[in-house]
Amino acid sequence: MKSLAPLCNLLLMIMVSIWTVLLWDPALLALLLALELGLLAVAGQLGKLAKALFGLFMVAMFFAAIQLPFDVAVATAVASGLKMMVMTVAVLLMLATTRLPSLTAALVRQVRIPYEYAFMFTSALRFMPDFIAESHAVREAQVCRGYVHSKNPLKRIVAYAASVEPMVLRAITRSDTMAMSLELRGFGSVNRTFSQQIAFQTRDYLMVGFLALVTAAVIVCR
Amino acid sequence: MEAVRFEDFSYQYPKTGQGLDRVTLSVPQGSFTVVTGTNGSGKTTLCLAMTGLVPHFFGGAMSGRVMVEGYNTADRAVADTAANVGLVMEDYESQLVALTVFDEVAFALENAAVPAHLIRDRVLAALESVGLAGLEERELSALSGGQKQRLAVASVLVSRPAILVLDEPTSALDPEGAADLYELIARLNREQGITVVVSEHDLARALPHADSVVVMAAGRVALAGPLNEVLTRMLSEQVYDAAVPSLRRLKAALETEQRQFSAWMTAGEAAAEINACLKSTRRLSLSA
Repeated sequence: MKSLAPLCNLLLMIMVSIWTVLLWDPALLALLLALELGLLAVAGQLGKLAKALFGLFMVAMFFAAIQLPFDVAVATAVASGLKMMVMTVAVLLMLATTRLPSLTAALVRQVRIPYEYAFMFTSALRFMPDFIAESHAVREAQVCRGYVHSKNPLKRIVAYAASVEPMVLRAITRSDTMAMSLELRGFGSVNRTFSQQIAFQTRDYLMVGFLALVTAAVIVCR
Repeated sequence: MEAVRFEDFSYQYPKTGQGLDRVTLSVPQGSFTVVTGTNGSGKTTLCLAMTGLVPHFFGGAMSGRVMVEGYNTADRAVADTAANVGLVMEDYESQLVALTVFDEVAFALENAAVPAHLIRDRVLAALESVGLAGLEERELSALSGGQKQRLAVASVLVSRPAILVLDEPTSALDPEGAADLYELIARLNREQGITVVVSEHDLARALPHADSVVVMAAGRVALAGPLNEVLTRMLSEQVYDAAVPSLRRLKAALETEQRQFSAWMTAGEAAAEINACLKSTRRLSLSA
């Protein structure tokens, strides 16, 4: 999948989601899930995502189990849980096998989404590790000044709220610096180019054809 | 020829009112200039004015003008001035906006609509020049502070500016990282002829590479000129003299006793001359 064009990966994710909405057979959904996990393994991402996938599995199980007391058939409940899992894994698969800058370029040039919106998405991801590091630093500073983190969930929420203020102030300063950086580097120019290769190759067209055939088959069989 | 010229330039930020006060200054092409002064003396504003961010980005009131490579910054868009002047800000981490090293350096070229087939070569050359070759696919979150600083320099150099401005570039670096960065900047200055302006508190780091110094105080240029002349005046006129490195103080103290030394650029040169001076003093006292 890493060799496919980003838009092709995006289409694959969308098509899998459509199939998932249309299918109610737990066996077929399980097969779809197995295929996704196989693709993740081929892409070398299965190990990295194992923890997240296990968490997702537990949520899906819970989602299925919570329906049983309401006279929902076991097969339907299992299918619901599987649907949720298949759709989420499809998103994970797309993100794990597509370079985000390439996806941004595809969204802007091929889907015609304004660059500013696509940039907002990537820059949010860019600063996520920084915000997490800052949140740790703020909490460490609180501990250094005698704050004891309670095990009471309500008190923990209050403690998090106390760390929000310095983080927001820092974020505002950051956004100023970033805005200056963008200004200096000509952000917002009309004739922007992209260095990423996003053009469709033969394999992408073949994949799109395959996706169309499967989608048609799923609709007909239903 | 001057790379940057401030002509009686005054500026006030919209809210605080502080800024620059009747600054007249000339930065020669190909020079390595260190701007120093206390916190709030106007160093950062001076750097921002060279890029046009002051006044374009901040607004506020101004008079006089700043000429960069012959262009008045007030008459040009910031992105156009950035083709001549590259700025590495003090908070260089927030200056970086992309997810990977390659995309960070390519960002300005993409915005400038450089054809895609030319971008790769220019990005690789910029990364090579700052010693980050081979890290193109590395995510920014996986870089060290020193590497991020170098990346910020590369992301500016890729636009091939004639002037490189760095605002307190070593404030977040360890001594080794700071020394490496100054070696890099000095090499760019020496080999590529890039005019360098560095705002810096720690003069001992910058002086081995600098040829001129500007001392700011309360938004004004207190002293400006060739390195040794300004250092001597900083001590004699007690203008931000606490910042003068100890070796330079020692030299000044010895020179008041009629001893003459050459213009030291490194601690090694200083040690050699002081040793020679001590030996001659000892010989004189023995013969007496």
